[in-house]
Amino acid sequence: MRYVVLLAHDPGDRAWPDEATRERFVDDHEAFERFVDEHGRRVAGAALADADLATTLRRGADGQVVVSDGPYADTVEQVGGYYEVELPDLDTAIAAARLLPRQYTLEIRPTVQVEGHRVG
Amino acid sequence: MNGRAPEDVLETVVREEWGRLTSLLLARFRRLDLVEDALGDAVEAAARRWPLDGAPDNPAGWLHTTAARRVLDRLRAEAMTHRKEPLLVVESERAAAGGVRADPGDLVEDDLLRLVLMCTHPALDPAAASALTLRLVLGVSTADIARLFLVPEPTMAARITRAKKKIVAAGIPFAVPSAEDLPERLDTVAQTAYLAFTAGYAPGSGPDVVRADLAGEAVRLVRVVLRLRPEEPVLVALLALMLLQHSRRDARADAAGSLVLLPDQDRARWHRDEIAEAVALCGSPALAGPVTMQAAAYALQARIALEHATAANAEETDWRRVVALYDALVGLTPTPSARLARAVAVAEDQGPRAGLAALEGLDDELPHSHRLPAVRAELLGRAGDVEAARAAYDLAVERCRNQAERDLLVRRREGLGRGG
Repeated sequence: MRYVVLLAHDPGDRAWPDEATRERFVDDHEAFERFVDEHGRRVAGAALADADLATTLRRGADGQVVVSDGPYADTVEQVGGYYEVELPDLDTAIAAARLLPRQYTLEIRPTVQVEGHRVG
Repeated sequence: MNGRAPEDVLETVVREEWGRLTSLLLARFRRLDLVEDALGDAVEAAARRWPLDGAPDNPAGWLHTTAARRVLDRLRAEAMTHRKEPLLVVESERAAAGGVRADPGDLVEDDLLRLVLMCTHPALDPAAASALTLRLVLGVSTADIARLFLVPEPTMAARITRAKKKIVAAGIPFAVPSAEDLPERLDTVAQTAYLAFTAGYAPGSGPDVVRADLAGEAVRLVRVVLRLRPEEPVLVALLALMLLQHSRRDARADAAGSLVLLPDQDRARWHRDEIAEAVALCGSPALAGPVTMQAAAYALQARIALEHATAANAEETDWRRVVALYDALVGLTPTPSARLARAVAVAEDQGPRAGLAALEGLDDELPHSHRLPAVRAELLGRAGDVEAARAAYDLAVERCRNQAERDLLVRRREGLGRGG
């Protein structure tokens, strides 16, 4: 199965209170990555810049693209990064995601497979 | 199956073997969509054939063979059209990919347990998981499940279909999790069963006072899982709790169908055999060791129910002990409903004013509950504050959506100040 793990956080939390917290954060990401490498593989991933750097495009009623400042969903928690991984099943994906830093709220979504083509 | 009517043989085998047959077929074909239909078709075929030919010597084997043939027919038809449907993730595949596996020495490999864990996966909507489990593990028909959960059949069918779709599409495995994760998952199994059970006993609306059928199915579900994991604390505690509540089913309504509260129930109508079984379960060594918080909470609730079940009558109830058990329960899980129930016990033990004091702080947490004003009204009435009691009854009646409970509240309100 291929999954995308979305990492949501409260952007206000990004400043590190101390060096130990930052180290722990990096360690947790590395633990996740090791677990994924052991049980499947990492396909892609990135940390995203804060949502105030986001640009949103919407189609107006007239069909014209309207470009505006900010993220598409105005919520307290914002997507701060993602991983795309290949793992045997949802339980393994949950076990992996549990290792990520505790600051995150995580969403695991299977990617949709094109009919007639099975990934893996 | 000598001498038994084929119809009875079929009913028994469906009732007792449905989950096992489903799990065997799933392990083999990994097609959640086909297996349930194929098994349903096999049961229909049996209903036609067995009365004519006589029931087979091995009824479960007959159903399995017939259902497997149906699945193979469908797979052949799909192969002709080159369709490729997504498959369920099963244990062997995870092992091959280096997935997380339970230590095989630790756990009995059991397809039925895999089926139960898959149906009750925490990634499923709890109400849908509960319905799906009744369908796939116990073989309760979708029409019956809809009736039990008080929703139209198409709504329930859609809910079950959606849950099955998520299982396959999200990769919820047909597997036993690691020994480390298993207790937590069995907690979810217990919660799913208890959700079905309470849906039967505390209907949010509608005319039924006791829908013992659904509660009975939930009890059966716990028994099925307990057979697979005989010493599992959370299941032992939950079965005890359910049996104690279930044992009162025939006393909860009077001849006219009106709700009868615990103190007024005819204790001769309680099912003593179930109470005896619950007593034994509460004393089980499985509950003596360290248990999960969920198991501890069920065990405490069972012990509270046990105090009621073993008191000769309402007056003999040892309220001091009941309060002590509630204190422990609130200490463990300070849920509003536990605190509300504790307040009732406090009132019985120390008088209505103490009970009213114990209700303080609950209004913010239970803003829509009819039970909170109903309890307050009862206690105010006992304390002699008739005006305040009437106002509280008004609020309770306004919030209550269950006809039988509302009728009772109205009767109580009318009885205020008349010594009743």
